[in-house]
Amino acid sequence: MLQDLYATATGWIFEQAIQPVLYALGLMDWADDAYQWLDFALFGLVTIGVVYAVCRPLELWRPVERWDDGAPVRTDVVYTLLTRLGLLPMLAFVLFASLQARWEGWIADSGFVPPTLETLLPWLREHPFWALLLYIVVLDFGEYWRHRLQHRFRWWWALHSIHHAQRQMTFWTDDRNHVLDEVLAALWFGGLALLIGVPPGQFPVVVLVLRLAESLSHANVRLSFGRLGERLLVSPRFHRLHHGELSAGEQGRNYATLLPLWDWLFGTADFRREVYPRTGDPEAPEALVRGGWWRQQVAGLRRMAAAIAGR
Amino acid sequence: MRPPQTIRRAALLLALAAPLLGRAGPAGADIVYVLNSGDASITVLDGATREEVRRIPVLRETHHLVLTPDRRSLVVADSGGNELLFLDPATGALQRRERISNPYHLDYSPDGKFLVIASLRRDQVDIYDAEGPTLLQRLRLPDKPSHLAFRPDSRMVYVTLQGSRSVVAISLETRQPVWQAEVGREPAGILWHRGKLIVGIMGADHFAVLDPETRQVERTIPVGRGAHTIFAAPDGRVLYATSRVDSRITALDAATLEALHRWDLPGGPDCIAFDPEGRLWVTLRWIQRVAVIDPRTAQVETIRVGRSPHGIFVQPRGGG
Repeated sequence: MLQDLYATATGWIFEQAIQPVLYALGLMDWADDAYQWLDFALFGLVTIGVVYAVCRPLELWRPVERWDDGAPVRTDVVYTLLTRLGLLPMLAFVLFASLQARWEGWIADSGFVPPTLETLLPWLREHPFWALLLYIVVLDFGEYWRHRLQHRFRWWWALHSIHHAQRQMTFWTDDRNHVLDEVLAALWFGGLALLIGVPPGQFPVVVLVLRLAESLSHANVRLSFGRLGERLLVSPRFHRLHHGELSAGEQGRNYATLLPLWDWLFGTADFRREVYPRTGDPEAPEALVRGGWWRQQVAGLRRMAAAIAGR
Repeated sequence: MRPPQTIRRAALLLALAAPLLGRAGPAGADIVYVLNSGDASITVLDGATREEVRRIPVLRETHHLVLTPDRRSLVVADSGGNELLFLDPATGALQRRERISNPYHLDYSPDGKFLVIASLRRDQVDIYDAEGPTLLQRLRLPDKPSHLAFRPDSRMVYVTLQGSRSVVAISLETRQPVWQAEVGREPAGILWHRGKLIVGIMGADHFAVLDPETRQVERTIPVGRGAHTIFAAPDGRVLYATSRVDSRITALDAATLEALHRWDLPGGPDCIAFDPEGRLWVTLRWIQRVAVIDPRTAQVETIRVGRSPHGIFVQPRGGG
């Protein structure tokens, strides 16, 4: 019943609003992809609702900090809407799709057929749910190392510091990233996804699973998952330590997105459960801290250019 | 609101508990296979009761399927999973898998010697020997090779190039492209019909009739925006053409190519298969359903299947 309603609703939206536009623009060969991304955008909307319903009461219940001025948080809301309704990810996906055709074409010419995790581990064919979990673990591992590199390279940190400049960290802060940083993230994540065979159709789901956890981890709430839980899943406490004023740049700790295991394995974990530091980057200019979306984007680019030029 | 794909895949896990072996439907009924391109599965329907009798999991993304020349195997192309699945059409049992580079649309040459596979995403057309299949030739072609059709004498295969506004003719003797002709914006489905090629112009509202001798479009057949695929009825007297944007099926007189009838059918009609009674089984891409149309009574009913259903095949009762 619910499935029927959803199919009817998405079918109606696609046929009445999206397909005629594709037709008018001569983009009908993107119809399949647009249909898949309609799912993504609608699910993004649901995700925002769910995240809000879960995180907002928690933040009201046991906030780490209270502020009078909500402007910096409103900027983070803009970031979230741009990202989760699929506008920025769609651009990245379109870029990927054509890159993928070229890349896989070259590989196919060599006679090599790219594998999937299921061809490497045939039992996964019969267990798609476990296959999905395994994909998430592998992709989360990739995210850990991307995050390490964001802090490691000065030019990348110049972009990523927009994310760390927020002194009023809430669950909205998750998507506070420079557009170029998002593109790099999408290339990294998408590249790995293509390498291990995650198809574009499943791509949004994996992204959403990771992002749900990420939102909660940024929430302004005094919440730890306990001695064992802290080692299983990234908590608001665990990730707040990563955003602490003394954790900026190469001093970073707790890089993991979903699974603290990676920090544990590679010696970057901090499991002190009572520590809830103030957040922000003491070296960030005011434009990154209190600027609107556009001002932050421009400032981020300038800082990256300066870092590359060695200034 | 529909649950996320994670949960849908978990539901699929339950479906997986049904072993791959075993009969697809009750004896005596047509069996209908529907490829759900959006949720990595094949729906098996009982043609008589219209009930779903099985869900067959696939790796990634299936779009098209074809019967082997000896009719012993139903070949399903999983483009995202880089493999062909060979199923027993009478039972749905998996016979074997073959690792193939991104198979999208595929068909056997009429003489049964070749299997030709178009890869939409990788801009390639592969020619295999039908037995192996063993790759004989890979052709790197311009943008988005989509659907294909053969000359009845098997000397030539014609492929629509969605991103290049054209049809390419490939010789099966030299295994090389021979000519390329422009037909219109985003050509998709293609059918050999009485010495001509009828091509769905998806970026327009008509099918183009291409003369393979002169390589000229000699006429157009208006059917509605998003002209997509075209199929000949088993008796050869009527052609059925789909339009995805105006969401319609148009019946054409096979001799004159004039419209005889049309069904406005919400949901984006795409591929068509015919059952022994002459009914049309049509996938509706955007509403997760297939339609069953009886052209004698003009009655239409729809059946729920998986996400974004695309290819469809009817195995007649008793094997046909």
